[in-house]
Amino acid sequence: MDAFRIFIVEDDVFYGEMLRHHLALNPDNEVHLYKTGEECLKNLYRSPAMVSLDYSLPDMSGLDVMRQIKKEHPEIPVIIVSGQEDISTAVTLLREGAYDYFVKDDDVKDRLWNVLKKIRENVQLRSEISYLKEEIGRKYEFRNVIKGNSPSIKQIFGLIEKSIKTNISVSITGETGTGKELVAKAIHYNSKRAKKPFVAINVSAVPRDLIESEMFGHEKGAFTGAITRKIGKFEQASGGTIFLDEIAEMDLNMQAKLLRVIQERELTRVGGNELIKIDARLIVATNRNLADEVQKGNFREDLYYRLLGLPIELPPLRYRGNDIILLAKYFVDEFCKENKMKKLSITESAQQKLMGYHFPGNVRELRAIIELAAVLTDLDQIDESHISFNSADAAGNLLMEESSLEEYTRKIIRYYLQKYNNNVLLVAKKLEIGKSTIYRMIKEKQI
Amino acid sequence: MPESDKNHYCLDKLIGFVGNDPDAIKNMVNLFLSTTPDLLQSINSGFHEGKAENLAKAAHTLKPTLDVFGVEDTYDLIRSIEQKAKRSELDAELGKHIEQLNTTMELVFQELKLAYLET
Ligand SMILES: Nc1ncnc2c1ncn2[C@@H]1O[C@H](COP(=O)(O)OP(=O)(O)OP(=O)(O)O)[C@@H](O)[C@H]1O
Ligand SMILES: [Mg+2]
Repeated sequence: MDAFRIFIVEDDVFYGEMLRHHLALNPDNEVHLYKTGEECLKNLYRSPAMVSLDYSLPDMSGLDVMRQIKKEHPEIPVIIVSGQEDISTAVTLLREGAYDYFVKDDDVKDRLWNVLKKIRENVQLRSEISYLKEEIGRKYEFRNVIKGNSPSIKQIFGLIEKSIKTNISVSITGETGTGKELVAKAIHYNSKRAKKPFVAINVSAVPRDLIESEMFGHEKGAFTGAITRKIGKFEQASGGTIFLDEIAEMDLNMQAKLLRVIQERELTRVGGNELIKIDARLIVATNRNLADEVQKGNFREDLYYRLLGLPIELPPLRYRGNDIILLAKYFVDEFCKENKMKKLSITESAQQKLMGYHFPGNVRELRAIIELAAVLTDLDQIDESHISFNSADAAGNLLMEESSLEEYTRKIIRYYLQKYNNNVLLVAKKLEIGKSTIYRMIKEKQI
Repeated sequence: MPESDKNHYCLDKLIGFVGNDPDAIKNMVNLFLSTTPDLLQSINSGFHEGKAENLAKAAHTLKPTLDVFGVEDTYDLIRSIEQKAKRSELDAELGKHIEQLNTTMELVFQELKLAYLET
């Protein structure tokens, strides 16, 4: 491998020199030290494999230097080393594309070493042949669950990776079906809290007067119907993660209570007075624009800032380009596997039809469309005639084929047999028909 | 070992960074001896001339260096100096902190010179 060229941009002579010595310990590294942002930018033509950037430089801010670098060379990883622990700066920098952010503190050495190792691995991998490229993705669990390859989803992967390393609150926004819950789980199950519970509560699904007891629990006799003590979701999530879904639907009164609990890190069960410490990482999600809700007076501003943490905005599926096809293929494969069907392919024209659609229901809708198509086709492929963009139409399509009732019956039975692994008894029960009917059809090769 | 024989710095962290290489260590010690007195000077003059911002900046820069050289009892000290300067609290307490820093640094400079320059 060629020399691994590293730029250090650091105006503190001592610290800069120390980093230089440190990184030069590895003979593969070629280290350049610059004292100003301008010097660094002037030398970018040397295409460094990575830049370590001090946040406060004499001539310009680290953020400005990074923006310049990213503008011309978006592929160069930029690491910000700062003297200050400041979470909002860190968030800004990470969102703007910093590879990592750390404070000149105890563990800079190890973190720098680790980051370098990771970047090196990536550089190496990037230069390998294409099938190996997939391995980069396979390295991370969550990338196996959240499918996508588009730049916009890769940016999300970057944010997920950041959020995994710390306990920072995460707020996930995005239209319905974009994968908010999936992301919340991915964060939890890849974080240090993975072995502790992930507890979800859908604010809009719980009746208003029960939400407090649902979240914080209640004591026996707290209200009519409270016949035993109940442990709330926050307590259940102890050591793990609490996921507040549809947070925008919470009423103002409850918002005030939630704010207090988050601030004090303590709660009292409804009807109780014992203070209970909580240790749950908070992830919230909504398909509304929370900032707008604040404007309209529907959401408390102070709570909004408390919850914002690391904001992750999931892009609508229609902006994810080829991910539509990637996801479609994935859902087909999954569906066929689950139902023990043989593999189905998706024809070019069906793919084009998918690419032209705007998917108001996003990934969830795509999945439904694909699963229906897999049921509708009798061939070993899905073509455009199997793709229909709303479920009412789909039923219509089935009828449009103008078959006889008998033919419909056969189709439905065939589908159920596939779905239930040729378990005739089960299918007979599901469809409320006699098992002998099915056996007869099989015998007469009608199915 | 009597207290006074013990050095007021500890190079473990520095060695962790640059490796156990006598030349590199000597190089860094020299750099330390040539850059930190100026920073200390800025801290002192910042305090006496009421230039809180300069003071805060110098303290900010000195902070990681002290960490790396393991200068005894300065971990909280330098942080509180920086914080107070940032809040422009140039009061007697800050004066005392700076005095304490001066004393420790003076010892460290002497010890380092003894160990690394006059051999
Ligand atoms: N990138 C993805 N890769 C694979 N599956 C995905 C992806 N995104 C979403 N899904 C799947 O799509 C469905 C919808 O996702 P999810 O429930 O997380 O959406 P949501 O944003 O929470 O929607 P809502 O706002 O309606 O609650 C789920 O079955 C999920 O597994
Ligand atoms: Mg959801």
